[in-house]
Amino acid sequence: MDRQVDVVVVGGGSTGCGVVRDLARRGLEAVLVEKGNLTHGTTGRMHGLLHSGGRYAVSDQKSARECIEENRVLRDIAAHCVEETGGLFVKRPEDSEEYFQEKLEGCRACDIPAEVIDGDEARRREPYLARDVEKAIALPDGAVDPFRLCVSNAADAREHGARIETHAPVTDVLVENGEVVGVEIEHETGPGKRVHREPGATEEIRARHVVNATGAWAGNVGEMAGVDVEVRPSKGVMTVMNTRQVDTVINRCRPKGDADIIVPHETACILGTTDEEVDDPEDYPEEDWEVDLMIETLSELVPELKNARTLRSFWGVRPLYEPPGTGTEDPTDITRDYFLLDHGDRDDLPGMTTIVGGKLTTYRMMAESISDHVCDALGHEATCDTADAPLPGSESPARMNELMDEFGLRSPVARRSGQRLGSRAEDVLEGVDPNPVVCECEGVTRAEVRDAIDEAGSDLNAVRLRTRASMGNCQGGFCSHRIAAELAREYPEPVVRDAEDELYQERWKGQRHALWGRQLSQAMLNHLLHATTMNRDGDPASLDGSVDFGAFDAGADADAAGSDGSEPAGTAAADGGRVGENAATDGVTDGDR
Amino acid sequence: MTRDTRTDEDDGRETTGEPGETTDDSDETPRPGPGVPRVGRDEQPSIFVPDEGDSAGGDAARLSDRAATDGGVESATGGSDSAELDPDAYDPVDVFPGGDLDLREGADSCYKCTSCDTSCPVAEVDEEFPGPKFQGPEQWRLKRKDDHDIDESITSCSNCMRCDSACPSSVPLSQMHNEARGQFVEEQMEKLSREYVRNRILSNYRFFASIASKVPRLANAAAKIPGAMTLGEKVLGIAGERDFPEFATQTFREWWRERGGAQVENPDKRVAYFHGCYSNYNTPEVGKAMVRVYEHFGYEVMVPPQKCSGTPMFANGMLKDARRHAETNVENLVEAIGEGADVIASCTSCSLSLRQEYPELFDIHGIEDVSEHTFEALEYLRIHEDLEGELADTELADEQSFAYHAPCHARNQGLSRQAVETFRDVEGVEMEDVGDSCSGISGTYGWKEEKYEKSMEIGAEMFEHMEDAEGDVGMTECPTCAMQMEHGTGYEIRHPLQLLEDTVA
Repeated sequence: MDRQVDVVVVGGGSTGCGVVRDLARRGLEAVLVEKGNLTHGTTGRMHGLLHSGGRYAVSDQKSARECIEENRVLRDIAAHCVEETGGLFVKRPEDSEEYFQEKLEGCRACDIPAEVIDGDEARRREPYLARDVEKAIALPDGAVDPFRLCVSNAADAREHGARIETHAPVTDVLVENGEVVGVEIEHETGPGKRVHREPGATEEIRARHVVNATGAWAGNVGEMAGVDVEVRPSKGVMTVMNTRQVDTVINRCRPKGDADIIVPHETACILGTTDEEVDDPEDYPEEDWEVDLMIETLSELVPELKNARTLRSFWGVRPLYEPPGTGTEDPTDITRDYFLLDHGDRDDLPGMTTIVGGKLTTYRMMAESISDHVCDALGHEATCDTADAPLPGSESPARMNELMDEFGLRSPVARRSGQRLGSRAEDVLEGVDPNPVVCECEGVTRAEVRDAIDEAGSDLNAVRLRTRASMGNCQGGFCSHRIAAELAREYPEPVVRDAEDELYQERWKGQRHALWGRQLSQAMLNHLLHATTMNRDGDPASLDGSVDFGAFDAGADADAAGSDGSEPAGTAAADGGRVGENAATDGVTDGDR
Repeated sequence: MTRDTRTDEDDGRETTGEPGETTDDSDETPRPGPGVPRVGRDEQPSIFVPDEGDSAGGDAARLSDRAATDGGVESATGGSDSAELDPDAYDPVDVFPGGDLDLREGADSCYKCTSCDTSCPVAEVDEEFPGPKFQGPEQWRLKRKDDHDIDESITSCSNCMRCDSACPSSVPLSQMHNEARGQFVEEQMEKLSREYVRNRILSNYRFFASIASKVPRLANAAAKIPGAMTLGEKVLGIAGERDFPEFATQTFREWWRERGGAQVENPDKRVAYFHGCYSNYNTPEVGKAMVRVYEHFGYEVMVPPQKCSGTPMFANGMLKDARRHAETNVENLVEAIGEGADVIASCTSCSLSLRQEYPELFDIHGIEDVSEHTFEALEYLRIHEDLEGELADTELADEQSFAYHAPCHARNQGLSRQAVETFRDVEGVEMEDVGDSCSGISGTYGWKEEKYEKSMEIGAEMFEHMEDAEGDVGMTECPTCAMQMEHGTGYEIRHPLQLLEDTVA
């Protein structure tokens, strides 16, 4: 029989990453498999709110209490992923006073520190708030970077002996003798780090227990094992603004509704969201009216949003779950609580546990509870320490002065690098000299990009998630090729080209929903730079078939040598230009690139 | 008709808790008619009463002493240091001081195209300077409320404002730079550092010029004492290679008073002359030319009380100083506008400041009116008078070729070709544009010891083109460009108004 690991965790979102870290720290041999990059599913498609619990203080006090508890834990163990922005629940004249009071009482009942401030005070804190905001409840909401959070969890797990496999979708759940004994995965490239153009491979991973932490995709994995998991995926749109109109999380204080939150996230603001049930978490319509609704409705709270630049929009699917037979009609009424489904008890299929529901803020608590369950099932005795052990990077804050003096970073670059890297900053920045800024919008230096490449292979989207490079206002227009160039030290040219294309395409995907006004201008400028200046829409090097370099003339020197040397330079340039132009035209008419 | 005008010395009332200060300016005279400055506001007798012997303004050591105690200067109007402004009156445009102007929104217009960086004369010669795109939209976008400071490199921006015109997308670059620089100076710069003291002195040129003008000959002589400038460099970091500008023996305002004010009365055509500091203390002949030319065209010239336009203060992040001066300027100019006048400046930096930087940086009652009613002297005549017709048959007695340099700040106002176009048809005048490079001095930038070399490197192209030009007389609207032109070529430098005076008046 094949070698067997203790646990396979399927799904590299916050839950899966949290579980694999917890298990690894408890001394179990764990493998995490994820079909895309870490955070590929729902985790990477949320607004980044670190709940204080205020949002659930009226409707779901159990969740609210868990949120405030975990909120405090994450400020501590994930300091470099969290920004302590504070939050406001603001009341406009048409919003119910009764609900405002309920909210306040609910917060107090759940031990969420809450303070009522008047409209003037709210505007002093956030000058762009609408003039007619009457009052607000201030509470300790925050912002969390889900990418950094997951990557740090995975990195810690790896330090404790776990194996992390991304770009490795599960193709089958192995069931033998009425028991789940592992999974079959399909490595796109690899195994190991993803490198474009490397051949893929199929691998069977046998394990004593399988954790299905695939959220909205839990049904698909369940199906492979022959069990029913009725997840009700619900989509929500999020719109990214170019700058931070607010530095505090702004919530609308009303029972429920679309478009009621603005989260300051790194350099941007994220507007959210909608809640609409969909059939398939992979395939649902992304509609423009949803984006319009965000801007329209939230500008009632922050009028400036109407004039502000939108970078992109994205949709995520919530992994909502309710026990069979509950029959809630409106997805907004489905509980945000999480459920642990032991398929041994539930479906008489031991060896697999599914976790569904829940939210990012409580990911660690969920991970703890499922790890407890797995340890029980495996008869493994170990205590959980994830509430106290800081994540790699969060051990201590980066020292700004050192980053500026020792590594010569400009102040805002040092601040943002220090914030992203936390206690790893010095290790990452050391030894890369010169260390120019590669992504200007987000202040990402070469050292940070190289550090990410070391972990992520040639996958530049994984580099992006780690560094934020290409997530600023040019959306990769001015930096995707610079980032790709960093790959060229290690990888051959075709890999670099593929990686660059992939990153650039991904950036385009979200911008499609922001093509008006200034982002439209940006997109056109990007297009012209890439298509014309860089000739990327017809580059002979990326066309199929080899280039007949012999068709080019031999250049000025050869001409000069052959003739009297008085006139050739001009000829050479003209010829070169003409040949290049033809090649470009071919590329364009070629169609599908 | 001659009016009875009285202006007392136009002196900075920015004074200080300095011993020996006199603040006697209360002799209100009955209010004269429009067009005539009255005593008050910024008109007051000398405040600096040293013993005659060593009072020269050029004495660097003394300057240094003074500046150190200069920190608490109070406004002429008794004025509100705006730190005390009511926070409730917050308006996103009025920010400094009294709350940060949040210009992160300005970053929305930036497409990263880098046109600003390629147009920046400092970035071209200074490897360490990250350029206007970084200083402006990038730095602002990376800011967070409680987690930011301003990168020190902002102090290398010369505030030439070329980036403003270069930007195809109207990013408020210079506003972002001004704001960032003000914040840097206010919050991060060591107030006792040599650099701060030096910059404070340079930006408060008017204050020191007003003192030196009390004893112009002495001041001029002191500046020429061998070693005086070296001392200035050693003690203060003021470029020793430069010659300190000479002070006129009679300021423009003294001349104006002696002359009896306006010679033309015309309620339909009034202008309020914003002469600025340099025309008052150093080149009153420019101011006189302005008056004579405008009177030739039938304008009634008013000379309201005024202080520094703020240009050197913006460039050094001294926004509090600039605001204090702006309060006086706006108050008096608004009054003149109320009497039907437009505001005319002969210095293109002064006019740019009143037009653009004032409304961008300060929220003072009437400041928008001032902005809208301000024009450069030649520009205004070209709009309202038939200058072409007037000049068609004129002739300059002594044929002369001029090497004309358009100041960056004139460029920003769309005035870079006006001198060439105006004098194109004048017999005997050859006006040659020496190109679109920056002169490199940018007001106070080239006066700083550590920037001197770069300043000259930036100016090299202009010097070269001037030397290649036919004539050996330079022409420009900007007083500090004129200093640089003279410094680099040894040419005499004139103002277009002076040439206009020679041809029409």
